[in-house]
Amino acid sequence: MGLLVAAALVAVPLTASAQPKGQPKEINLDEPETPAEGTEPVEAPAAPTDGGEETGLGDICKIDPTACPTINLEKEAAKDLKNETYAVQQIYALRYHRFEVNPYFGLTMNDQFVGHNGPGLAVNWYLTNVLAIGVNGNWYGALNTPSDFNFQTSRAARIGEPITEYQWNANANFTYVPAYGKFAGFSDFIFHYDFFVLGGVGAISTRPMAVVDPDNRTFDWKPKLSFHVGGGLRIFFNRWFAAMFEVSDYIFFDELENPSVAANPQDKSTWLAEGKSFTNNVQAQVGLSVFLPFSWEYRLPK
Amino acid sequence: MTAAPAEAQEIQLTGPLAGAPAVRQLRLHRAGRFEVAPGASFTLLDEYRRTIMPGLRLTYHFTDWLGFGAWGGYGFQYNAGLTDELQRVAIDGRNCDAQPFTKACQLTRVNLTKGDLTKDQLGQIQWVAAPQVTVVPFRGKLALFAELFVDTDVSFFAGAAAIGVKERKECGTTNQNACAETFGLESRMAFAPTFGLGWNFYPSDFIGFGAEWRALPFAWNTSGFDNHGLGTDEAFPDRKVDDKDREFHFTSMVTVSLSIQFPTGIKTTE
Repeated sequence: MGLLVAAALVAVPLTASAQPKGQPKEINLDEPETPAEGTEPVEAPAAPTDGGEETGLGDICKIDPTACPTINLEKEAAKDLKNETYAVQQIYALRYHRFEVNPYFGLTMNDQFVGHNGPGLAVNWYLTNVLAIGVNGNWYGALNTPSDFNFQTSRAARIGEPITEYQWNANANFTYVPAYGKFAGFSDFIFHYDFFVLGGVGAISTRPMAVVDPDNRTFDWKPKLSFHVGGGLRIFFNRWFAAMFEVSDYIFFDELENPSVAANPQDKSTWLAEGKSFTNNVQAQVGLSVFLPFSWEYRLPK
Repeated sequence: MTAAPAEAQEIQLTGPLAGAPAVRQLRLHRAGRFEVAPGASFTLLDEYRRTIMPGLRLTYHFTDWLGFGAWGGYGFQYNAGLTDELQRVAIDGRNCDAQPFTKACQLTRVNLTKGDLTKDQLGQIQWVAAPQVTVVPFRGKLALFAELFVDTDVSFFAGAAAIGVKERKECGTTNQNACAETFGLESRMAFAPTFGLGWNFYPSDFIGFGAEWRALPFAWNTSGFDNHGLGTDEAFPDRKVDDKDREFHFTSMVTVSLSIQFPTGIKTTE
């Protein structure tokens, strides 16, 4: 106990020395710590032993003479320590009032007939440390790829499964960060991560790919209302750069090709099937997050 | 990118905590303990049949980062939307029993049963048993809503799996086993590597929960179709259903589990 108290007493003046009176009590952990003039750190004191108290106090007095006469080391050492320790002492990467720029690549997870892979970009502004508003968009363009599975199923069962291609989608979102934490890797290094969930509304531009009557039918792109829900994980490499993984579901009502051909196959009004198809476009999004500005000053209590 | 983590360490390297362990009083949830983890697995990206697999994972952890054990489960299936669509449109709608002379029935008689798709030709995973090694490189803690705190770790595992598969019976072109008349399922055992990662949470000293993603890559015929056997790279149908019609599937699944560690008392580091 005495050892701990001695170490703590030494540590306190050291920290204080970097914050002379008159300066704001803010810590910028990205800047190298430069002690104020005349307050260069001294070596940690030797552990006090029986009768060695003077050595410990002597070192303390060198560091902060004002603390020297006010401390009865024996009395302090006898006290029970009730120090409060937070699970995460300071949030490693604060998000409050920062932009997040998040380029990613989306991979289709639930459409076995057509792959809708493509790049995307999200930009968020954190209103608080856990709540952000933002926008995101995906470009599918010419990247829609009918699968081998689609071909084989059509060939084997002689059916034409209505398929759709996507052009783009865009959404306005709220993002919430309910959980954060840190990991020790191989008991050697520490990295921080957080979970986020998001929801929003937007539009997606799609059109059917003519399968039943490709000789006569060509469809135009048409935007539809879409809803966006998702969640993901960010792993921070430093205070402004992270890798992210997200699963997002873009929910909309799609229009499909009519499986039957009318008497006049060139009558456009007969090309679409009746009703609309409830569609979930689930995609995995893998990318990077860059937080701007790169650095900040802590204004939260440690 | 490398400078920032180093800065965080400098405080410890040069301060009064120099030489101190990164974490004191670390709770060793795994070292020297036997873990029993009942759970349920759900297959992902299924084409015709989805599987829910109640199962059990047993692991003994020699250290806090290394364990040996086994995972297994028994699968129950239900249809994906495509299966119901095929049954409705291509089988019930065509009614090939009554009108076998139609073009569609003639062209699909090798590939489509006249009865129930799920009973006659669609593949399914019956059971899996997999001895595996578990490595736990990452340990940490999680703050939920800045109020709830739990210990957590990330584990990676790899092993070999024996898989009980039901697939469409093999058939050919002779009168005895003509594919047009031979439908039904038969069992076989397949072997595959298995690997994945899990995220585990420990709200108490001996009870935890977690989720893991697992891959079981192997080749099997999920549809019962004759898709391969003839031509370049055997890419064309040969009117037989056999091992050439098996296709490689990554066969991934997500498992959620409850874990109980024995002995229930937990050790901590100094």
